[in-house]
Amino acid sequence: MTLPALERRVVVCVGCGGVGKTTVAAAIALEAARAGRRALVLTIDPARRLADALGVESLGNQPEPLPREALTALGVPAEGSLSALMLDMKRTFDDLVARFAESDAARDRVLANPIYRHVSDALAGSVEYSAMEKVYELSRSDAYDTLVVDTPPSQHALDFLDAPERLLEFLDSRLVQLWIHPAMAAGRLGFRWFGWGSRRALGLIERITGIGFLEDVSEFLMAFEHMSEGFRARAREVRALMRGPEAAFVLVASPESGSVEQAQRFLERLEAGDVRVAGIVANRVRVWPNGSPAGVEATDPTDAARLAHALAEQEGESFPAARAARAAIDAAARYAALVRRDATALAALREHAEKRGSFFRVVPELFDDVHDLSSLERIASSLAQRTHTAEDSMTATREPGANRRERRGTASA
Amino acid sequence: MNSDPVRSSLGRPDRSSLGYASLRAERLAARPLESRRLVIVTGKGGTGKTAVAAALALGAAATGRRVLVAAVDPDARLAALLGPRPAPLGYEPARVRENVWVCHIEPFEALGEYLGLQLRTRRLVDPVLRQRAFRQLLLASPGWRELITLGKVWHLEQLRDGARPRYDLIVVDAPATGHGLAFLNVPRVVASAVRTGPLRHQTERVEALIEDHARTLLLPVALAEELPVRETVELVTRARELGVALDRVVVNAVQEPPYPDDLADLDRRLAALPDDAPLGELPPPRVLAACGAMLSARAELNRRYVAQLAEQTGLPTATLPYLRDGLRGPDDAAQLSAALLAPLGAPA
Repeated sequence: MTLPALERRVVVCVGCGGVGKTTVAAAIALEAARAGRRALVLTIDPARRLADALGVESLGNQPEPLPREALTALGVPAEGSLSALMLDMKRTFDDLVARFAESDAARDRVLANPIYRHVSDALAGSVEYSAMEKVYELSRSDAYDTLVVDTPPSQHALDFLDAPERLLEFLDSRLVQLWIHPAMAAGRLGFRWFGWGSRRALGLIERITGIGFLEDVSEFLMAFEHMSEGFRARAREVRALMRGPEAAFVLVASPESGSVEQAQRFLERLEAGDVRVAGIVANRVRVWPNGSPAGVEATDPTDAARLAHALAEQEGESFPAARAARAAIDAAARYAALVRRDATALAALREHAEKRGSFFRVVPELFDDVHDLSSLERIASSLAQRTHTAEDSMTATREPGANRRERRGTASA
Repeated sequence: MNSDPVRSSLGRPDRSSLGYASLRAERLAARPLESRRLVIVTGKGGTGKTAVAAALALGAAATGRRVLVAAVDPDARLAALLGPRPAPLGYEPARVRENVWVCHIEPFEALGEYLGLQLRTRRLVDPVLRQRAFRQLLLASPGWRELITLGKVWHLEQLRDGARPRYDLIVVDAPATGHGLAFLNVPRVVASAVRTGPLRHQTERVEALIEDHARTLLLPVALAEELPVRETVELVTRARELGVALDRVVVNAVQEPPYPDDLADLDRRLAALPDDAPLGELPPPRVLAACGAMLSARAELNRRYVAQLAEQTGLPTATLPYLRDGLRGPDDAAQLSAALLAPLGAPA
């Protein structure tokens, strides 16, 4: 298999915001489809970008299959397929409440509770939890071989993975228990004071702030309590799936300043949390068109003269060949410096991958935003290390430059 | 949005119908960034809003103003960018160089301070604030963090040494855009939920500060790329609805074209040269051409998005140069200050 992670049932793309996680997730799913698997990419990116790139009308909470013709054109065999789904966190969480509620009345009570309406987005990582929940649900169905998950940009790498635990921890916490079973808690050592102290303090806070939300909170927690067994069992299964052999984590990073450091902190946290990272994808990397940019920065003046000569021969007497040669060499040197900078910035991540025996893939910067399947295909090719040279991307680069020249031509005419 | 039930229920004027008036107010309010009292820097994650906050602080401090940078999300780099004295980013403002202080508005600290001031004692407050479950409960409570953070900003703005404000300029390194919008909306939401009492009163004062065009400015930071541009346009629209003053959009990390204007198509001419042209140690012509083409494409993409941003927000743009190695310290930040504080409309 071209990308080792594709053998897993669930591929989770993690990384900081703004590194192109959504695009990479889609490209991994495409690569899985090309390997003959039935792939589904789950995104949390509400922008239309992915839907646009995939050429589907819109994405919803149900999988949307890509048209067969498009897949065939991208080299996806008949047995492979690619679908996309945009996670509706809120809906997923509501569905969960509906599933575990003991009665319709209990369900309605929770769904209508003002605190639930506010906190179902924020409660102890429920955003991440809903995503995990959906992944789990899909992983139990036979409809897909590979699920690629694009995670929400979180500050802490483990937010996503720890979501079930945090939800459980919250439900189990003393304060919540106290709210639900004040009488029972009061019997235990030390809880009497705790109960009195915190209730009194909360009462004071309520009086000062004038916010009457404590009642709503109590009601919400009581209603939720009845469901917690279901949640608990479910959270354990989700946890087992994510930390088990069926799941692979792929870290997406970009070489931009600050991003690499964040990626490293991310890696450390993941490993500290016993998550094995299957590989790293460096996205939007500036690479040299052929091999390495040796000798561009320190150009021999006679070489500059040679280039000027060649240009003069081609463009004629009136062309400012010497100045043009200088500009061409300066631009190459400027680009070479960027290429070196990116390589240096990524060295630590590359080493890390080598040391762990995980893969490291470089996706060259594309010079237009990823709007269509062909650019997605180019990213997939880089991931699979099919040779797609920078000169290919140069051909793809031509368009915007050409437009500019036309516009300038018109302006000066 | 027109159908904001909060505003109409409170009998407030519906500002969205005053779009033109508020646009005009924005223009009138356009004046040097460093002469504001409060500048709230916000933008999508990764756009470099912390760098912009640092650059603004250094630029303003250089004009003799006393500047406090208040970070909402702790970013360890902030103190290093402002340097030269390394200071841990703490709740209490720490002086990092002449005229520059930095602090992190940690919400639980701010809540403790606030409740302590209200109750005139922290004895009861602190044990409760330390409880993990209580913290989680509060973290889950909507708007609370934003409100207490803005309350602290208001408090910092009120500080006086004698008759003079303790800080001439407060630069808030605000949360990333998605949260940034919620951040500014909170006083209004709270005002709708809390009808009476001290909190209502304090919230109104915070709201008055945020909406005061003479004192407060929202400074959005964008990158010249698709998603940051889209988010910034949404941010500006929303900020106008909220009545917050805006006078420019900062576009960070804008790359310049590789060739002089009259040689803009040089890459194409290079690509037309024979591949075996004798160029000594130089890379072959197609590689030279590829380098130029890639740099041109990036610069063109940047140019297009800067234009789009200006058109869709109706605001002037202040473009900051792309720094290859990112922002490494006060020297780099000072380089950005010059571009940031240049008068609007002046060529970059």
